[in-house]
Amino acid sequence: MSQSATESDPRLSTLWQYRPARGFHDEMMTAAGEIRPQWRGLVDLLNQIGPEGLNLRWQEGRRLIHDNGVTYNVYGDPQSTDRPWPLDPVPMIMDRAEWAGIETAIIQRATLLNQMLADFYGPQQLLRAGKFPPQLVLEHPGFLRACCGAPLPGGIYIHSYSADIARAPDGHWWVLADRTQAPSGAGYALENRLVSGRVLPDLFRSENVRRLAPFFQSYRDMLRGLAPKRENPRIVVLTPGPYNETYFEHAFLARYLGYTLIEGGDLTVRDNHVYMKTLGGLLPVDVIVRRQDDSYCDPLELRSDSMLGVAGLVEAVQAGNVAVANALGSGLLESAAPAAFLPILSKHILGEELKMPNIATWWCGEPASREWVADHLTNLVIKPASPNLDFEAIFGPKLSLREREGLLARIKADPGAFVAQEQVSLSTVPVAREGLLHNRHLVLRVFAVASGETYVVMPGGLSRITASLDSLVVSMQYGGGSKDTWVLADAAAPPFSLLRRTAGPLPVSRATFDLPSRMADNLYWLGRYLERFESSVRTVRAVLPRLYQDADPVSSAALSVCRQVLRGAGYLRGKPEKDKDEPERSPERSSDRPQIGEAEVLALVADREERRSLRSGVGQIRHVAWLLRDRISADAWRVLKHLDQQFTGTPPPEPLRVSWAQDLLDRAVISLSAFSGLATENMTRGHGWRFLDMGRRMERGLQTVRLIRDGLGFDGLPGDPELAAVLEIADSTLTYRSRYLNSIQADLVVDLLLLDEGNPRSAAFQISKLRKHVDRLPESHPASGHPKEARLALSMLTQIQLAEASELIRVDKEGRLADLEQFTASLTAELAMLSEILSRVYFTHAVKSRQLTGQ
Amino acid sequence: MILTATHTTTYLYGSPVSICHTQVHLAPRTGPHQRVVSHELEVRPEPASLLTRQDYFGNEFTYFCIHEPHRTLTVTALSQVDLHTEEPPHEGLTPAWEKVRDDVHGANGDETFRALEFTFRSPLVKVGPELAAYAAPSFVAERPIAEATFDLCHRIFLDFRYDKRATTISTPVDEVLKSRRGVCQDFAHLMIACLRSLGLPARYVSGYLRSGKDSIGAEASHAWCSVFCPGFGWLDFDPTNNVMPRQNHLTIAYGRDYLDVAPVNGVAIGGGEQMITVSVEVLPAA
Repeated sequence: MSQSATESDPRLSTLWQYRPARGFHDEMMTAAGEIRPQWRGLVDLLNQIGPEGLNLRWQEGRRLIHDNGVTYNVYGDPQSTDRPWPLDPVPMIMDRAEWAGIETAIIQRATLLNQMLADFYGPQQLLRAGKFPPQLVLEHPGFLRACCGAPLPGGIYIHSYSADIARAPDGHWWVLADRTQAPSGAGYALENRLVSGRVLPDLFRSENVRRLAPFFQSYRDMLRGLAPKRENPRIVVLTPGPYNETYFEHAFLARYLGYTLIEGGDLTVRDNHVYMKTLGGLLPVDVIVRRQDDSYCDPLELRSDSMLGVAGLVEAVQAGNVAVANALGSGLLESAAPAAFLPILSKHILGEELKMPNIATWWCGEPASREWVADHLTNLVIKPASPNLDFEAIFGPKLSLREREGLLARIKADPGAFVAQEQVSLSTVPVAREGLLHNRHLVLRVFAVASGETYVVMPGGLSRITASLDSLVVSMQYGGGSKDTWVLADAAAPPFSLLRRTAGPLPVSRATFDLPSRMADNLYWLGRYLERFESSVRTVRAVLPRLYQDADPVSSAALSVCRQVLRGAGYLRGKPEKDKDEPERSPERSSDRPQIGEAEVLALVADREERRSLRSGVGQIRHVAWLLRDRISADAWRVLKHLDQQFTGTPPPEPLRVSWAQDLLDRAVISLSAFSGLATENMTRGHGWRFLDMGRRMERGLQTVRLIRDGLGFDGLPGDPELAAVLEIADSTLTYRSRYLNSIQADLVVDLLLLDEGNPRSAAFQISKLRKHVDRLPESHPASGHPKEARLALSMLTQIQLAEASELIRVDKEGRLADLEQFTASLTAELAMLSEILSRVYFTHAVKSRQLTGQ
Repeated sequence: MILTATHTTTYLYGSPVSICHTQVHLAPRTGPHQRVVSHELEVRPEPASLLTRQDYFGNEFTYFCIHEPHRTLTVTALSQVDLHTEEPPHEGLTPAWEKVRDDVHGANGDETFRALEFTFRSPLVKVGPELAAYAAPSFVAERPIAEATFDLCHRIFLDFRYDKRATTISTPVDEVLKSRRGVCQDFAHLMIACLRSLGLPARYVSGYLRSGKDSIGAEASHAWCSVFCPGFGWLDFDPTNNVMPRQNHLTIAYGRDYLDVAPVNGVAIGGGEQMITVSVEVLPAA
């Protein structure tokens, strides 16, 4: 094959085994097998590098997706809440002229839909004049009456719009669906671009692919324009939280655009203004970029059962004190029904034909449409007319005669609830699978943002592909994939990225007081769970090697200590946490063969069902870390994922189990240290770090005191084996030996673990650190004088400094260590109280709000 | 005749509420049968912010927010209303119910267009064949709408038992239809659902009954139903007391159902257990 042949007769090398399916438009290849002009550059490259070359380049792509933690949540999958983002290495390519047509059609459609909303929430002329069925607005749960007449800057309801479009066999594009309230996908499109630009950099440059960054700059300018009164408006991105399917995108976009990512609980309305609750106090919010459904945004005036909303938000909007994008109420048009009326409304409102047709749609609420639908049911897809009618799309061709009759009866009983659409026919695109190119169906999601009186369209979009050629449903939930979308330009565009550019010089800021209180709460608990897990791992690790030793007094005593500690921490099946009424505490029992067996220990390590197993401890850490995902570095997150995977593996068969568990725990300790290091080292020493560390100190303090209590007991002086075991679990054996060599003494152990401020594992060390943290917290309640938490920390520290180990281990008349018992009990109670106060003062919003009703 | 209404709602909380946001529909509205003489709203503790505006249906509502911790919240509405004691139109003179249905769905003119909104489902009012079937015996062909509606009102009064323990505000109408028990809100919702199932415009009216008149439901806020009749306007029917309201009913607000006009609706943070007491007294002005 000569060079010139490639250029004049561009064909894809047969190595790729690509054959377009019959009856569909193929994006890359004509029916005659010719490569369409805009794909020729890519095909040249594919021919040149071959399947192996593509695979090599794609390893880099996969690594990027992995490193950036690009994920998509899958509902109802308890094993993993996030899945890696499925991106195909081959981009979808559009030529300039065709794109220009799509662009004007999308601008027209966004403009039209926006004007419809302005009418429905205002004069309702379209309804009065019978241009649009009143039922589709007035009965729609998305018609939010509380939002009627709100003053919206620029009269914009749809600030950001997206449409799913597809190409019919004749080559024309059709609109399948509109997203009018919180369109998702623009962030994924950007992420896809970052990856594909790195995988195919040569082609990306030579083909003059249009850049996405200017689109996001328009988006930022538009949002900024929504708060014209403010010099430097505070713009936040409101997310329903980490369990939302597109949470990754919310976090990614917020970071890319430079806005704070918040949840409803982070906001509060005071005096009709919206504020963000932070450790440093309340900060005013000017613009809310909304990524949750509007009906969930205000439990007072919209859905009262919403836990995600901000009470009073509607009134703040009505007063013109905050702008919400997209406007509350814009979800009204997000159903299949309005499409039936757009061709007529386009002529009526804009005076022009619809530039890109809808997929043909009939609303059964109109008698003529209903009849037509009844006659043609076998060729149609039936969908709900509004989102509260909870049924999945019904495919007419798949219905039996009986089912068809049943459906017709349902439509007759409530015609307004049903919409019928033509079956879509989707074009095909090549996707790379195992070194070959296969074809899959394509739906392209395109995006537009408001800009003055008109809209700006993203030059590109999110290409989504079906899971198989038989499927016409594109859904990440059902295993579909995505592609980058290239729109070719005539000339190279200058490089431009928001990541390197800011709107103006920003003042140096070292304050981190704007940490949302919810984040501080989660960081605190992350610290506590990490420490709790680590201390349990250490304890179990101390048990394992002793399981197979002879029943000598030393190892029996050590096992007994471990057992008490584990039981005190709530581990071990079926035993209550409290230890007051446990008869086994008597000293003579501790020399018996302890009742802790291999099976019990293994269950403790990795039992799937056991609520208190170490494995469930990993789950706890993962859950809270998940809530903090946008604050945790990708490296730290990877370590955590790895730890989780270790615990979720299947244990090997019997003889290998114990060594497997031992190995697992060794690695867990290393993973934990790595995670803590990564999480804390890269974190600014602001309040975020402070709360994380306070959580660790609090938990370690409590664990150490508990270790003394459960490990030594108070029934007389403990023996050497118990003391040695306690030192080992507390990870203080080396420290002890370096100070006191090998002679073990109860008072020295108590001193080292409780009172020695120089031992990083002692209770004293934790309390002294806690006190320093507490003194540096922002005073959020200046009215109450010297804060209670500071006084409490100081009182604990003083108690410790005044205590003498030799006095604490004094045996009283009944032969008990009553002083030590009293001292540890008081420390435990005071630590718990400090934790309680911290929650109350700094995380108060965590109390769930509730609904009042009255007659 | 001038009536004075005092409506007090008290919330007692087991633990302090730190913040509450509340919306109240407690101000009477002026209409063809009544004129508001005065209205005052008193909230304890003092709200940090309070504002009053009109809702979508033209009812006046007040939104307030309290930031100081409190264990008791008291909302008192004091209203004076001048009622015109005008006889309702002769039932036989109203148009046939089918004509009303067709006129409204033809939606010509502002008043009929506005009435159209009340033919559709709303969050607490479903429509369906069972409800239409219950209404059917009253709505025989060509029957004047007021006569047919009054007959429906009468049948609900006879068929259903007033029972405060049978339902909550979220009990759906089809359940009320089955159990045949409920309170004034349930009967109003049921009657509205029957009328809408026939394609007729019906709305929910929230208000008070004059005290000491042996009426049912006078000790708290009351609710009834209103049906639209072109040429006659909205005609009220109270299925709880089997009357077409005249001098004993004082209108506060109307909407599609209870949720549009709930007297007190709020979101509180904290509070623990709560106890609510409500008292309403409506007496002729001294």
